Amino acid sequence: MGKISFFLKEAFGSLRRNYFMTIAALVTVFLSIVVLGGVLVFVYTTNALLKEVEQKVEITVFLKTDPDPTTDQVDAMQTKIMGWPEVKSSVFVSKEEALNRLKEDFKDNPEILQDLTGNPLPASFEISLKDPQTVSSVAERFKGDPVVDEVSYGKEIADKLFSFTSQARNFLLGFIVLLGIVAILLISNTIRLSIFARKREVEIMKLVGATNWFIRWPFVIEGVFVGFVGAAAATVVILILNSFLVGKIRNGLPFMAVPLDAVPYVLVVLMLLGVGVVIGAAGSGIGLRRFLKV
Amino acid sequence: MIRFEDVTKIYPPSTVGLEKVSLHIEKGEFVFLVGPSGSGKSTFIRLLIKELEPDRGRISVGGRDLATLRNWKVPYLRRNIGCVFQDFKLLTNKTAFQNVMYALVVTGQATGASKKKAAEILSLVGLGHKSNSYPNELSGGEQQRVSIARAFVNHPPLLIADEPTGNLDPETSMGIMQLLYRINKTGTTVLMATHDREMVDRMRRRVVALDVGKVVRDQKRGGYGED
Repeated sequence: MGKISFFLKEAFGSLRRNYFMTIAALVTVFLSIVVLGGVLVFVYTTNALLKEVEQKVEITVFLKTDPDPTTDQVDAMQTKIMGWPEVKSSVFVSKEEALNRLKEDFKDNPEILQDLTGNPLPASFEISLKDPQTVSSVAERFKGDPVVDEVSYGKEIADKLFSFTSQARNFLLGFIVLLGIVAILLISNTIRLSIFARKREVEIMKLVGATNWFIRWPFVIEGVFVGFVGAAAATVVILILNSFLVGKIRNGLPFMAVPLDAVPYVLVVLMLLGVGVVIGAAGSGIGLRRFLKV
Repeated sequence: MIRFEDVTKIYPPSTVGLEKVSLHIEKGEFVFLVGPSGSGKSTFIRLLIKELEPDRGRISVGGRDLATLRNWKVPYLRRNIGCVFQDFKLLTNKTAFQNVMYALVVTGQATGASKKKAAEILSLVGLGHKSNSYPNELSGGEQQRVSIARAFVNHPPLLIADEPTGNLDPETSMGIMQLLYRINKTGTTVLMATHDREMVDRMRRRVVALDVGKVVRDQKRGGYGED
């Protein structure tokens, strides 16, 4: 009988004997990690949604109409825009196309466009960016350009959106940290209770001349086991819930385009299991500390 | 074996545990520590196994100064001191055999030889046939014999017994005493704190009497009272 097998036997023996405490600790770990994991998945999904919204920010550059720019000017401008590293794509919308779009938009009420003579609409470039945050600085560059009439990128909307998304990210991050602390406190408290019930046992071990680590190991093994099993159960529940909810949202709100692959599942699963194991082990170790003095 | 020099222990705020106690106990001695409740017997024992630290004075056990003994070395000190208590202090979820084995496993001896050793010592205390019983299936006297077996299985040079017969009837107590006597015969120093007047009078061993933390009597072949 080696030391390790002795420790394992001790650990699982006492898990079985103190089954009520084992279940209490398991449920605590399970619930904490379900909440933690739920928030984590929510954060990843929200983050992906926010990114998608941000991507929708684009710049529209209206060109002067009197006189209309020549084809050469348009080509030169297109080349210039595509030369900027921030730009993902740039689409030229001619006067005719602009009018067609307008007609398309009002096809149910053609009387509105009845009095329209000629084509008063300007040609434009629709520019989308690699990093939406650069929108102001790119828009700035069109100032003073002789063929450009007006640059529109919904300055206020874009700025508000960015400040909202960055606030939302900070808030969620803070929430996760807070939740992690709550989980650690809850779990280490439960484990401490279970150790308190076995105070006498620890006392006797010390009297017989057991070293602190000799006493500690079985408790740590117990903690790791409880943490792992609780976290594993929680992870399964989260994965099932997630795929169920995402399916629901997709059917209910098709325009939201909820990205199912926004969550790096392997990472999240490893993270949750890791948190469970670490919390279990640390909870036991810390919980035991007061009884190991003397 | 044991050397107390001018040892004082005060429990805050001002309860006297021991006051200026100086005492030498030689290797192989059998010593009774007597006195009423609160006289300092338990304090004496708890100081010996470094469960408490003295406020003043020096304590050495087996030539080792306890004040300079590092905390992490305390378990090794305790392996050299067998302890027997009034409430037995057995692990309730382990059998008699496993309780004795625990003292061996703790020291890293978990071999076939140590199993044999544990079984032998249980037979020696007369519990060979009950080695697979749990403490709650044993009588008080039997539990105390298991705890003595556990204390002695490592053959420590010193065995401390704190009221070992306190919960037992006179006849059972006699059996326990004989066991301690035999252990003493093997060369182990035995220190026994007790209330048991009859026992002390019958054994005629060295008696150290404490009262309110002071040594009031130290007799080579004494009785419980002043004769």
